[in-house]
Amino acid sequence: MKPNPNKFWNPYLAGVALGLVLLSGFLIMGSGLGASGASLRFGVAGLDLVARAHVARTPPLARAMESEHISWLVFEILGVLLGGFVAAYTSGRLGREILKGPRIGTTARVALALSGGLLMGVAAKMARGCTSGQALSGGALLSVGSWAFMFSVFGGGYALAWFLRRQWL
Amino acid sequence: MTLPILPTHQLGLVLAVLIGFAFGFVLERAGFGRAPKLAAQFYGTDMTVFKVMFSAIVTAMLGLVLASTMGLADFKAVADSAASATFLVPMVAGGFLLGAGFIISGYCPGTSFVATASGKLDGLYTVLGVIVGQVVWAELEWRPGFASFHNAGNFGNYYLWDLFHLPARTGPVVMALAVTAMAVACFFGAEKLEKVLARRASPVAMATPARRPGRLIFAGFAAVPLVALAGLAIPSGSRAQARGAATIAQVDLARRLFDEPWKVRVLDLRSFEVCSGKRIPGAECVPADKLSTLGLAEASSSLDLVLVGEGDLSELPAPASAYPGRVFALQGGWKGWEAFALTPPAPLAAGASAAEIELYQLRAGIRSAMTGMKTAPPPPPPAAAPGAPRKGGAGCSG
Repeated sequence: MKPNPNKFWNPYLAGVALGLVLLSGFLIMGSGLGASGASLRFGVAGLDLVARAHVARTPPLARAMESEHISWLVFEILGVLLGGFVAAYTSGRLGREILKGPRIGTTARVALALSGGLLMGVAAKMARGCTSGQALSGGALLSVGSWAFMFSVFGGGYALAWFLRRQWL
Repeated sequence: MTLPILPTHQLGLVLAVLIGFAFGFVLERAGFGRAPKLAAQFYGTDMTVFKVMFSAIVTAMLGLVLASTMGLADFKAVADSAASATFLVPMVAGGFLLGAGFIISGYCPGTSFVATASGKLDGLYTVLGVIVGQVVWAELEWRPGFASFHNAGNFGNYYLWDLFHLPARTGPVVMALAVTAMAVACFFGAEKLEKVLARRASPVAMATPARRPGRLIFAGFAAVPLVALAGLAIPSGSRAQARGAATIAQVDLARRLFDEPWKVRVLDLRSFEVCSGKRIPGAECVPADKLSTLGLAEASSSLDLVLVGEGDLSELPAPASAYPGRVFALQGGWKGWEAFALTPPAPLAAGASAAEIELYQLRAGIRSAMTGMKTAPPPPPPAAAPGAPRKGGAGCSG
């Protein structure tokens, strides 16, 4: 049977599955899921190649190189890449393309993807985590900061959605 | 408490790949590798992001509550280790910024990895942007002018049950129940909204329909907190007995007093006169009959309680066993401590093993540190309010 690329899991079932993955993180590792910590490590590792002394004397960068939790996140993200690849391949969604709305050009889309990413990188470092580490994992653990963060994320998204409608609709 | 398992570092890295694999697989199958589907969340046409995220939060939360009720894990202990401390100001600011970046790029940091893995180049550019942004803020966050903002609104480990002034034992269950109820109500709202906006939706951003399985899951979400509540209803006396009088060895207490004195609260149960004369550094003199005045049952569970009797404690006094955190009795009580920490260790014979030598050095060090304090400090105010020092800046890097 040929997979249908427009068929996704029922969102509630997918949510329960994701919750069980998160729960296994809690019960096995004593930590949640994450993503932006791994991004930081990739960036710092790159910086370490060209400016080792600078990394060593900048405490947040030096910490990122030594943190055991961050190395755990790097391996977790390797798993995410593998899992995402296998899921995309088996669902017929694997393919080199740029996803965008019908009314925007490729260059503009790439510029927006890059600058949105930049903004999120800053934001996730500021907030001690992104939607995975802070909102999802911290939210499930009932942390006040995580819930404040989560509501702010939705607030920020809805606040700007109207201005960016040409990119998506 | 047998969970979390906390495997060795190497095994942990293997498990990281497996857990990550499942994480990435589920995200992709939910449709989170596609920016238009994610962005549709913010136009109301496809609430998949919201549904998946809150189902996941509720599932993991209820699972952990259930594990805690069965005595397999401790909700607060897991939360303390896995969640970052609350820094309200940068977290709210970062939230708005991240939300803005989300609608601009179409991904969040985690889903951009999934998009990259499935060949989406816009995902790859988002990943690169996130990497640069992370390094940029890491460069800035500790510098003067930025640090005060980056660390503003530090509440330490701060949970919703603290916010609503619920006790640490029942708080997680009650809050989990409330969050579940809220989530289920929002799910119904999301379904309604999608129906209303369905005509405007473009084919790429159509909501994934949820019918019967959705209802089954709602029912499941309702059932779990009820089970957890029933578990809590077991009389607290039997729970306290089941916990028994765990003991802590003198050497372990000494280590903790040196390494992390802010995490232990030592209560000396001997009579006030004896205790005022000589006691373990940092210990509060609380004679056994005064223990009930401390309000331990309502105290925050963030500190480990260590009880010191004259000798071994045969059983935990009732007020102490009501304490929501961990309670230990010191092995051998004061007499044991005196023999261990205040008298010189017996000299070692030649050919002692490395372990014996290490213990000897440790004991000698402890003794000199402990007896260096020649006169005992003045007696502390009896029944001091339990001030729980907060752990700061435990950077979660999600």
